[in-house]
Amino acid sequence: MKQNILLQLHPMTKFFFTLFIFAVVLISPGYIFSFAIFPILILIAMLAGVAKEFLNIVIKALVTVLIFIFIMQMFFYPGENVLWEWGIFEIKQEGIKYGLLLTSRILAIGSAFILFFRMTEVRDFVKSLEDIGLPPMGAYVVLSTLQIIPEMRRQANTIMEAQKTRGVETEGSIFVRAKAFIPTLTPLILSSIAGTEERAITLESRAFSAPVKKTSLHQLSKSNMDRALPIVFALVVIGLIVWRFFL
Amino acid sequence: MTAMIDLKNVSYRYPVSDDSVLKNISFSIEKGKFTAIIGNNGSGKTTLCNTIRGFVPHFYKGELDGEVIIDQTKITDYQLGQLGEKVGYVFQNPFIQVSGVKDNVFEEVAYGLENLGIPVEEIKVRVEEVLKLVKIEYLRDKNPFELSGGQRQRVALASIIVMDPEILVIDEPTSQLDPIGTQQIFEIIRLMKERGKTIVLVEHKMDLIAEYADDLLVMHKGELVMQGPVREVFADPEFEKYQIQYPHVTEIALQLQQSGIPLTFLPIRDEELADALNRTEVAAHD
Amino acid sequence: MTELHLTNVSFSYPDGTKALENLTLSVTSGERVAIVGQNGAGKTTAVKLMNGLLKPTEGSVLVGDWDTKNHTTAQVSRKVGYVFQNPDDQIFHNDVESEVRFGPKNMGFEPERVNELTDWAMKLCGISEFAEENPYNLPYSVRKFVTIASVLAMDSDIIILDEPTAGQDKIGLQVLGNLLQVLEEKQKSVITITHDMEFVTDYFTRIIVMANRQLVADDNAQKVFYNTEVLEKSMLKPPAVAQMAKLLDFSPGILSKQQLIEAILAQHSL
Repeated sequence: MKQNILLQLHPMTKFFFTLFIFAVVLISPGYIFSFAIFPILILIAMLAGVAKEFLNIVIKALVTVLIFIFIMQMFFYPGENVLWEWGIFEIKQEGIKYGLLLTSRILAIGSAFILFFRMTEVRDFVKSLEDIGLPPMGAYVVLSTLQIIPEMRRQANTIMEAQKTRGVETEGSIFVRAKAFIPTLTPLILSSIAGTEERAITLESRAFSAPVKKTSLHQLSKSNMDRALPIVFALVVIGLIVWRFFL
Repeated sequence: MTAMIDLKNVSYRYPVSDDSVLKNISFSIEKGKFTAIIGNNGSGKTTLCNTIRGFVPHFYKGELDGEVIIDQTKITDYQLGQLGEKVGYVFQNPFIQVSGVKDNVFEEVAYGLENLGIPVEEIKVRVEEVLKLVKIEYLRDKNPFELSGGQRQRVALASIIVMDPEILVIDEPTSQLDPIGTQQIFEIIRLMKERGKTIVLVEHKMDLIAEYADDLLVMHKGELVMQGPVREVFADPEFEKYQIQYPHVTEIALQLQQSGIPLTFLPIRDEELADALNRTEVAAHD
Repeated sequence: MTELHLTNVSFSYPDGTKALENLTLSVTSGERVAIVGQNGAGKTTAVKLMNGLLKPTEGSVLVGDWDTKNHTTAQVSRKVGYVFQNPDDQIFHNDVESEVRFGPKNMGFEPERVNELTDWAMKLCGISEFAEENPYNLPYSVRKFVTIASVLAMDSDIIILDEPTAGQDKIGLQVLGNLLQVLEEKQKSVITITHDMEFVTDYFTRIIVMANRQLVADDNAQKVFYNTEVLEKSMLKPPAVAQMAKLLDFSPGILSKQQLIEAILAQHSL
């Protein structure tokens, strides 16, 4: 996976790209331009070899939200040019226009962030934040939260097993499974609370608060591309601002 | 001889409790000694370990009286972080003893060294060495969360000894391990002793304590009731009243004594029984 | 009373990892069996097959006249109780008594019987004084007894204990010993996984030795602990008494402290 040039970019470069899209979308007028961003993002995802996961998440996470927002705007955005009417519901031209603008921006920005997280491992991103001054505690919180979710899932499975052995039916209809799920919550929460104290001791035992500068096995390197791209992004944004507001 | 760990009249009470878990405890452990803390569950062994490591009172609040001196410096004068370098602590529950931010065992073991700011090249060398020592090289790419209890126990020990602390406090490191694995852990502890480390161990397996440890501290209901060289403590008739396991051979020897068989001394290791029965000639041709 | 039969049982995980190969064994009612072997030998897999948590990929597991393949674990748990290795994986109530009461209550027993079983199990495990406590405030060794009590209270005919002696002191070992005695009187079968060879020789006559996911021996303690081939194959260390007897040149077969003392006394009186 690491062979890909796009994936190999420094996390900050990818992050700057995401911010770049964000800025471009907000500066540029109209929805056509913003909608045009999306195919570009798909193209980048394809080049990076993550198109399938990318589209999958976009569809799951964004599409319903976008449709909902569009419909809301279509009906309730104030305007004069009514195109269609049924009872209190009126579709206005301004609504459609604003709806398209809003959804085009959300689509572009949202999918740019999704693409970022598809192309960047969180631990790399956190590491790059640490390199520019995120305190170790902050980094720890982010990384441990990431680990905790699969760990909690494992734990939930074990507790389910324990309950099966105590006669709780966990196989069968949704109702049966839902009923079995509730008793797993208490021990899950309890053991994670009991665990935090010991976790803190574990960290202390590993010299977490040692008064020295930490080192890291995990190193990120910057290529020429990583140095050049942010400048390009900045120039384009400045250009756009000048074009938009001063010409 | 310099005292590495020195406790003077130490008492400790947990925040909301009325009763002290440690009552007026005084002892001193010389540099390079291997001391085992024994006693039945609930006698205060783990709290004593927490005190030596400085988690009492730095981490667990509550009332601590008396003085805890680690390597000539009062524990209250250390910052919590400084003690990490000096005292390595492997605690009881192996299931919780993972950093939670590392994807594989190699990085997990390296974590403490990263925190200590050791250069990366040196970290790699030291982790390699410890993985080999603790016999977990085959686990290096595994996720720490997916290990069995016994494997986690080894990883926890490796993660601490890689930091090369002067003092090792180890609380029941073999509870999840089979007999061979247990023996291996004791061999590692012996090796640490040979490297000059001061070792404090909590364990229930008396046969191994008799074989490896120098001194014993016997805890009973929060009090330090006996202390001294292993052999002397087991031989002391007072030991029996605390209802703590003897080494198996000692238990047998005591029963033989009661049945009127004379013993030249009280054996604490299996191979000493023949000697004690004055039957060296029998054992010799084995 | 329920018998347990495993016939040519193998188990592989979905990813193809083999965890158990061709295990055949039977446990009759009221029998007490110890399963020993190195970490990773397949012991836990074997017992998880016995209570239906895992279903065999080959062969069959019969609990009484039930094939575990045709029943859910919840159903099998009426006949086979299983105490997990790690108590924290098992406890899911805020106080000890509710934890113990859960099993029998969930089985739909009469309220009176639920009360009786709960009290009996807590007393047998020496945890009555902790009835109101939150299990998570108790030490590991006591939590283990909470899990044992909560399984005993279900009154199943077969009881599986995974590493009951881990972290136990002398008093804990005595509680366990007494508990095994009581269960035997009630004609219950007990299958125990353990690393503690002294515990094995003190309380178990039949021993199942596992190594490399296979059964290596299923025999009485004397034969197992004096069989060099089995010991080597399974990397087991014989109990201390056997080692002492060997050092003293006694003939094979001595396992318990009492036997060794008698042998020494007999020699001495010559």
